Amino acid sequence: MTTPAILQIEHISKSYGAVKAVSDVSLQLQRGEILGLIGPNGSGKSTFFDCVTGLGMPDQGSVRLDGTVITGWPLNRIAREGRMLRSFQKTVVFSALDVEENLVIAGQMFVFESTRATFGIGKHAATIVEELRIRARELIKLTGLWDVRHMPAGKLSGGQQKLIQFASMLMPKPKVILLDEPMAGINPKLIEQVVEAIRYANTQLGISFLIIEHNIDVVISLCQRVIVLDQGQMLAHGTPQEIVINPLVREAYLGG
Amino acid sequence: MSQLQETQQTWRSGFRLPAIILMAAFVLFAPAFVGSYSLHAVVIAMIFLLPALGLNLLVGYTGLLSLAQGAFFGVGAYASALLSIHFNTPFYINVVSAGLISGALALPLGIPALRLRATSFVMCTLGFIVIGQAISKNWISLTRGDMGLSSVPKPYFALGPWSFSVVSTAAYYYLALAVASLAILAFYLIVRSPAGRNMIAIRENETLAEAVGIPTWTYKLIVFVLSAVFAGVGGSLYVHYLTVVSPLTFQMYYTTTILIIVLGGGVGTISGVVFGSILFVALSEVLRVAPEIRMIAYGICLLLIVFKFPKGFAPVIDKVWLALGGQRA
Repeated sequence: MTTPAILQIEHISKSYGAVKAVSDVSLQLQRGEILGLIGPNGSGKSTFFDCVTGLGMPDQGSVRLDGTVITGWPLNRIAREGRMLRSFQKTVVFSALDVEENLVIAGQMFVFESTRATFGIGKHAATIVEELRIRARELIKLTGLWDVRHMPAGKLSGGQQKLIQFASMLMPKPKVILLDEPMAGINPKLIEQVVEAIRYANTQLGISFLIIEHNIDVVISLCQRVIVLDQGQMLAHGTPQEIVINPLVREAYLGG
Repeated sequence: MSQLQETQQTWRSGFRLPAIILMAAFVLFAPAFVGSYSLHAVVIAMIFLLPALGLNLLVGYTGLLSLAQGAFFGVGAYASALLSIHFNTPFYINVVSAGLISGALALPLGIPALRLRATSFVMCTLGFIVIGQAISKNWISLTRGDMGLSSVPKPYFALGPWSFSVVSTAAYYYLALAVASLAILAFYLIVRSPAGRNMIAIRENETLAEAVGIPTWTYKLIVFVLSAVFAGVGGSLYVHYLTVVSPLTFQMYYTTTILIIVLGGGVGTISGVVFGSILFVALSEVLRVAPEIRMIAYGICLLLIVFKFPKGFAPVIDKVWLALGGQRA
């Protein structure tokens, strides 16, 4: 008997006016898998992400996370209750706050039992925040941000902000992480570091990943399976080795 | 660090504690050596501090600009006046009720308003003042229209055989000081709580805040209600001090004053808003010596402040504080 997939996405469609951004895309992310999602710019990858994570509402289709149907849930609820987190194509951090505070915020909603509890001023709340701070410092060390931990996040380089974003997502011990172009705009040395971080989170923490990425070498080395989108539709799927030699994919996306 | 610098630092760091003691002494004994007119201005400043703190929670911490503070201030004033006139309720009940009524009113107004995005939200809150003014003018059986409500009793405290009526400006100074101090404490506890951190997250980037699991809409609604509670308490304090209230309370003047205190004092800080309330109310009072050009002079002062101190006075206060501690700012 096979265990059911952690993320089952079925028949997602989304249009903007007459433009069909995503049309009837289904996929399954297995537990502990790293799944790649590639395709030319404008092929609907990010729209698809938005529909899955609650930032946008799909016109049709359903999303099931670890057995629970989460279609229509807002982003914050999917993150909090579903423990499925996402990054953004354009890296975002809480600019005015330092690295440590960024991470503490990223963990807060997962340890307080309710919104009301976050207004707590007693010892209980202070202890919870102190625990978060300890975890934040561990992750800051792990991602090599220790020396800049008290710097405002907005003052750091794009690559460092990517690491903050990644470390933030590890704060609450999520089940699934969706990464939107994690390697865009960072130097080759840092790419190594981010690849290692993803691998670590996958193997050591058991987090499943769905990754949009244009760097095909990274996709080949990280992903067990790859799905190719083109003009909002699924063009192909298979192992990375199958994908790179698929003539349809070469024509639409990889070139030559 | 050289020996000289070291001695200089210990010598200068000795200034912080005396500065606090001196300021505390001044605040505590101000009525003894401040003229009654200046004292009146300070009382008004402390009253305006309340809605300003509420607005600071919205603008400075959550990143929401609201023009409705004047409206909730007015609601608090009317609620307090009506309660004490019709039911003869004591002051402390009026203050608490004014806060609760303003907050309760903010809830149904906030629910639709907070669905709107930035500028539309601002316009919507502007609408609340206009509605407040219209109701206070036209619901004559309740509010007596333009005549307003008068002879609102001064606060009166009774405990067993002892009773005390807060009549003089000096006595009201201490009452306002007590309420303002409590409000500052409440504000401090809110912004220092984990929820305060979530509010800042919403101000910094709402989508990212959502992505880390923060129910941003719920927080914005809570903050909107809390800001109205602060304003309502301020309105109550105001009406028991002046003993009259009229639809003029819903004028834009009140909302702009509150806005200037927060933006000019320093958004997202406590000290900036405290300083701002004293400065801008005092400035407005001082300029009464030249009634013809008062508002023009006030406007010019504001322009100067905006150009000289675009972040308000909070950074200046920080610098002074650091200097007193012997650190270079």
